[in-house]
Amino acid sequence: MLSSHIMAAAPVAAQHASSYLPIALQIVFAIGFVALMIFVSALLGPKRKTNDKLANFTSGITTHGNARQPMAIKYFLIAILFVLFDVEVIFFYPYAVNFKSLSWTGFYEILLFVGLFLIGFVYIIKKRALKWED
Amino acid sequence: MNAIILSAIFGIVMMLSSAFVKNTKAYKSIALVGLILLLLANICETYSHAWLNIPTFDMLEFSRFGLYFNTLAIACTILFSAFSQREIERVGRYIGEYFALIFFVLCGIFILSSYNNLLMLFIGIEIMSIPLYILTGARKENLKSNEASLKYFLMGSFSTGILLMGIALVYGGTGDFALVHHGQDISTSIAGAMNKRMSFLDVAGMILILTGMCFKVSAAPFHFWAPDIYDGSPSVFTSFMATIVKAGAFIAFIRLFAIREEETTILENAIIGVDWKMLFSIIIVATLLFGNITAIFQQSVKRMLAYSSIAQAGFMLFSLLSLNDTAKEGLLLYVVAYSVATIGLFGILAKMKDYTLAGYNGMAKSHPTLAFANAIFLLSLSGIPLTIGFFAKYYMLMAVIQTGGYMWVAIVGVIFAVISVFYYFRVIWSMYFKEGTVELKYPVTKGFKILAVVMALIIILLGAFPQVILNFLYF
Amino acid sequence: MNLAYLVPLFPLVGFLINGLFRKQLSKQAVTLVGCGALLASFIVSLVLFCDVKTGGAATRAYFDFINVADFKIPFAFQVDQLTALFLLIITGVGFLIHVYSSAYMHEETSDHFARYFAYLNLFVFSMLLLVMGANFLIMFIGWEGVGLCSYLLIGYWFKNNQFNYAARKAFVMNRIGDLGFLVALFWILARAGTLTYSELFTPAMLAKFSQADITAITLLLFVGATGKSAQIPLYTWLPDAMAGPTPVSALIHAATMVTAGIYMIARSHLLYSLAPFTNQIIAIIGVATAVFAASIALKQNDIKKVLAYSTVSQLGYMFLGLGVGAYGGAVFHVMTHAFFKALLFLGAGSVIHAMGGQQDSRYMGGLKKYMPVTHITFLLACLAIAGVPPFSGFFSKDEILAAAYASSPVLYYFGVLGALFTAFYMFRIYAMTFLGDFRGTHDQEHHLHESPKAMTIPLSILAVLAVVAGFVGIPALFAPHAHLLENFLAPVFSDLPEHAEHLSHGTEWMLMGVTTILVIVSIVWAWKKFSSYQLDASEPSGIGKVLANKWYVDEIYDAVIAKPLLKFSGFLKNIIDKRVIDGIVNGTGRFVQYTSRQLRLVQSGQVGGYILMMVLSLVVLFVAFWNQAYILRFIHWIFK
Repeated sequence: MLSSHIMAAAPVAAQHASSYLPIALQIVFAIGFVALMIFVSALLGPKRKTNDKLANFTSGITTHGNARQPMAIKYFLIAILFVLFDVEVIFFYPYAVNFKSLSWTGFYEILLFVGLFLIGFVYIIKKRALKWED
Repeated sequence: MNAIILSAIFGIVMMLSSAFVKNTKAYKSIALVGLILLLLANICETYSHAWLNIPTFDMLEFSRFGLYFNTLAIACTILFSAFSQREIERVGRYIGEYFALIFFVLCGIFILSSYNNLLMLFIGIEIMSIPLYILTGARKENLKSNEASLKYFLMGSFSTGILLMGIALVYGGTGDFALVHHGQDISTSIAGAMNKRMSFLDVAGMILILTGMCFKVSAAPFHFWAPDIYDGSPSVFTSFMATIVKAGAFIAFIRLFAIREEETTILENAIIGVDWKMLFSIIIVATLLFGNITAIFQQSVKRMLAYSSIAQAGFMLFSLLSLNDTAKEGLLLYVVAYSVATIGLFGILAKMKDYTLAGYNGMAKSHPTLAFANAIFLLSLSGIPLTIGFFAKYYMLMAVIQTGGYMWVAIVGVIFAVISVFYYFRVIWSMYFKEGTVELKYPVTKGFKILAVVMALIIILLGAFPQVILNFLYF
Repeated sequence: MNLAYLVPLFPLVGFLINGLFRKQLSKQAVTLVGCGALLASFIVSLVLFCDVKTGGAATRAYFDFINVADFKIPFAFQVDQLTALFLLIITGVGFLIHVYSSAYMHEETSDHFARYFAYLNLFVFSMLLLVMGANFLIMFIGWEGVGLCSYLLIGYWFKNNQFNYAARKAFVMNRIGDLGFLVALFWILARAGTLTYSELFTPAMLAKFSQADITAITLLLFVGATGKSAQIPLYTWLPDAMAGPTPVSALIHAATMVTAGIYMIARSHLLYSLAPFTNQIIAIIGVATAVFAASIALKQNDIKKVLAYSTVSQLGYMFLGLGVGAYGGAVFHVMTHAFFKALLFLGAGSVIHAMGGQQDSRYMGGLKKYMPVTHITFLLACLAIAGVPPFSGFFSKDEILAAAYASSPVLYYFGVLGALFTAFYMFRIYAMTFLGDFRGTHDQEHHLHESPKAMTIPLSILAVLAVVAGFVGIPALFAPHAHLLENFLAPVFSDLPEHAEHLSHGTEWMLMGVTTILVIVSIVWAWKKFSSYQLDASEPSGIGKVLANKWYVDEIYDAVIAKPLLKFSGFLKNIIDKRVIDGIVNGTGRFVQYTSRQLRLVQSGQVGGYILMMVLSLVVLFVAFWNQAYILRFIHWIFK
C-alpha cells in the first residue's frame, strides 16, 4: 500500500526531471567553458616569478613584522557597534521611499525604532564602550 | 501580546538600570518586580484583558494553551530568580545585564508559544538563543565557560542554519510561511498545502526543521552540545537553560506539529506512510538511550543532571509522538515537574564546593533540610508516585498508549524510566547512607532553606492533586 | 450536618500540634490540647446526633479523592443514625479515656507524653474517618489508620522488645484481614464500579451481583472483620496487644477499634442479608469465638489478659448477633460493651497503677479497702458484663441470645455456655483482686492508694453509663415500643426483610429466666471459690493446663503456618533470589554499565566531531523517513 504510493510518484518525478535537461546541459556547458578557459590561459600565458611578486603588497611601504598580532579589544567593539548602527540605517531606505504612503502611523513606528536605538546608544555611552582610554 | 511587549520593555529597563543604578543589590529586586508584573499581565491576558494589542496580521496567535504555558514559564522563572538570586549575583560584574538577558530569553519564549508563521518561529528561536550564548560565557575569566559559550554558539548557529534551510524548503514547497490562515481557505496555508500531499520539498524541509528543533530541545542524536555546555556554563544559567528555555523550545516544537495534526487526518497522510511518528519514535528511543545510559556513568552530579535533562527531554518528546490532548496536558505537567525539581537541584548544587557524587556524602547529617529537598526533587525526577513527576510521566505514557500502535515506545520509555531511578537514587544514597561532611562554597540562608522546602512541598502537593495545574487550562 | 467535618478535624489538629511540638509543649499543654480536641469533637458529635435524630441521615462530599477518567471516588462523609451512635461512643468514651490517660501516663517524660497523646488523637481521627466515610475507600483509610495507631501504641514502650513483637504480631494479623477486605473492595469495584454506600446498597445495584459474587465478597469482608475484630482464626494478636498502656487497651482494644468489623458488617447489612451462607459462617465463628475465648479466660491470672480474652469473647457475641440478623442487637452490644469494657480496663489500669505495675492477680487481693471507688465501679462493670439484670449487659446480651435462639437453638446453648464462663471468670478475677487478703509485697502494700481524681471521675461516669445504658434497649417484652435504640436505628436497618419468626412472649420469658438464673449461680460459685484465694504456685494440669496455655493456639500457628513459611522463604532467598533473580538483575546492571562506558566516548568534546555526527544523523533521519514502513514492520516483528 505504502510502497505503491511511492512507486506511483516516481514517474511524475521522472517527467519533471526530463524537462530540466536543457538547463542541466547549460550548467555543464558553462562550468566546462570556465574550467577550460582557466586551464588554457594557465597553459598559454607567460610566467615570470620574482621575489617581489611573492611579497605582501603594503601600498609601497616595506613590510615589517607579522600581521597576526593581538589587537586591542576596543577595535572589535567599535567595529561591531559601527556595523550595528550602520545596518540599522539601511532600514531607513525603504521608509524613505514609502514616506508618504505610510503617513503618520509609519512616522510613529519609525520614531519608536529610532527611540530604541537611542536607548541603545545611551546604554553604550553610559557603559563607556566608546571611551578609548580607560 | 502583553507578555511579549512587557518582557522586551523590562529587558531594556534592566539594561538601563544597569547603566544608571549603582547599587548592585537593587537589580534583583527590580527584576523580581518586573517578573511579577509580567506574570500578572499574562494572567490578565489569559482572562482576555490584553491591554497591549498590536495587529500581527496572523503572524502570532494567542491560544489558551500558549498563554497558560507562558504563565507557567514566568512562574518558574520567578522561582528560579528567587531561589538563585545570590548565585546570579556571584557570576560576574554585569548583574543587571544577566537579568536583562533573562528577560530577552523570556521574550523569545513567548514568541515561540504563540507563533503562527515560520518566520516568527525563526525570530523566536534566535531571540531565545542569542542571549543564552552570552549567559553561557558569563563567567569571563573561566576558560571552561568561554569554551562552552563558543561551542554553543558554533553548534547553535549551525542548527539555526539547518532550521532556516528547512523553512526555506517548506516555503518553496508550499509557497507560504503561515501555518494556518484564520478565516481563510485552509488550502492557502502550510497546514493546508501539506494536507493534500507532501512534496519532496515539503518533507525535506520539515525534516530539516525537525532537526533544528531537536537540537534546541537537546534530543539525540542532536544532543551533543548539551552535556558540554551544561557542564561548562555557570550552574545558575545551566539550570535556567535546562528548564525554562528547553520547555520553551518544546512548546515551539509541539505547536508546529500539533497544527499539522489538527488539520489532517491519518488517511490523508498515507502518502508519506505513518507520518512523523516513526521519526519521533526513533528520536525518542535514541534520546532515552543516550541520556539515561550515559548519565549512569557520570561521577559529577552536575554532568549527571545534564545527561538526565537529555533523558527527560526524551520523555517530553512523547507528547510530540502522540499529539493529543492528554499529551498537551502531560507536557504542561512535565514542564512544571521537571523545571521545579531541576531548578531546586541546581540551586543547591551551585552552593556546593564539590560537584561530584562524593561531595554529597553525608548531606543528610550536616544539612538535613537541603538533603530532604534534594531527595524530593530527585524522587520527582525519577517519577516516584506522590510527586508531580510521577503524574507527568504517567500522562506522557498514557498519551502514547492512547495513540495506539506505538505501545513499544511506551515500553521502552518505562524501561528507561527504571534505569533512570538508578542514577537519581545514587545521589540520595550518597546523601543519606554515606558518611562524610558536605562543604558549602557559599553560606545558606534561612530564606533559601525555606524556599527549598516550599519547592519540595509544591512537588508533593501537586503530586497529590495534579488536577490543580490542569484545571486552569480548561475553564 | 454542615459541621460534620469538624468532628475528625479536631483530633487531627490535636495530633499535629502534639506531634510536631512535642519537644516544646509542657505536659499541661499537651493534656489540654489532647483532651480539648476530643471534647470539642464530642460536642460536635452531640449536635450531629440531635440533627440526625430529627432530620435523618445526610451525606456531604468535600472533594474528589480519586478522579481518573470516568472513575471517581469522592471524599465524602455520611452521617446517619448508625454513624451518629458510633461517633458518640468514640468521642465520648475517647474523651473520658484521654482524661484518664493524663493521670495514668504522668510518669512519662514530657516528649513521650506528647507522643502518646499525638498517637491517641491520630487514632481517634482515623476511627472517625472509618465510621464517617460515605464509601468503602474512606472507611479503608480509617481502617488502616487505626491499625497503624494500634501498632504504634502497642509498641509505645518500644524499649521492651517483647512489646515490639506484640505490636508486630498485631500488625501482621491485621494485615492478613486487611488483604481480605481489600480484595473484597476490588471485587465490588469491578462489579459495581462504585464504593459509595448510597449508590452501592440499592436493590438495583445489588441485582448486578451474582450469588457467588455476594457470597465471596461478604466472606472476604468478614475475613477483614475477623482480623480487626479479633475473631477465630485471627484473634491471637489481641491478648498480646495488652503490651500497650492500659488506657490504650481500653480505648482501642475494647471500646472502639475492635468494633470496626461489626460496624463494617452492620454498614453492609443489605449485602449480608443476601448471603445466608456467609451469615451462617459468621454466626458459627462468632459463637465459637465467644465460647473458646471465654474458656481461655477461665484460667488466666494476668488481669489484663482476662479482660483481653473477655473482649474477644464479647466480640464473638456481637458477630453472633450479626450472623443471626440481629444488627440492632449487635450495635447495642457494641455500645454497652464499650462502656463496661472500657470501665473494666480503666479499673484494671487503676489497680495496676496502684500496684506499681503488677498485673498478676495472684499477687493482689484485698484491694477493696484501699481503693473504694475502683472497687465499686469494677464490681458494677462485672455485673454488667455478666449480664445480671438490670445492668446494661443484660439487655444487649439477651437481645442477641434471643435472636440466636430464633435462628437455631444450638447457637443459643453455646451462647449461654459462653455467658456462664463470662460470669465465672469475671467474678474470679474480681474476687482475686479485690477480696481476700493482700498477697503482694510489703513495699506494694505500703504504696497502695486510691487513684487521683482524673482517673476516678472517668471511672464513675463510665460506671453510671454501664449501669443505665441498657435502658435505651428495653425489650418489647417489658414494655412495647420502649426499645429506644431500635427506634433510633430503624431508618438504617429498615431496608432489611422482616424477620419471619418472632418468639412468643412465653419462650422469651423462659430464655431470659434460664440465662439469668444460671449466670447468678455461676457468679455465686466463683465468688465462693475465689473470695479467699490463697497463693497457689502449682502448675495446673489436665484441661486446666490446656486452658492456661490458651489451647496452644499460638504454638499451633507457629508450627503449621509460620515455620513452613519461613522454610519456604529461606528457599526463595537462597536459591531463587540469590542465584536466579540476582543473576539476572546484576547481569542487566553490568550490561548497562558497560554500555554507558562505551557511549560516553562519543562525547569527545570536539565541535567538529559533534557536527559530523549531527549531519550523519540527519542523513539517517532522511533514510529512515522514506523507509519507515520497513522499519515499522521490523519493530513489530521484534515486539510481537
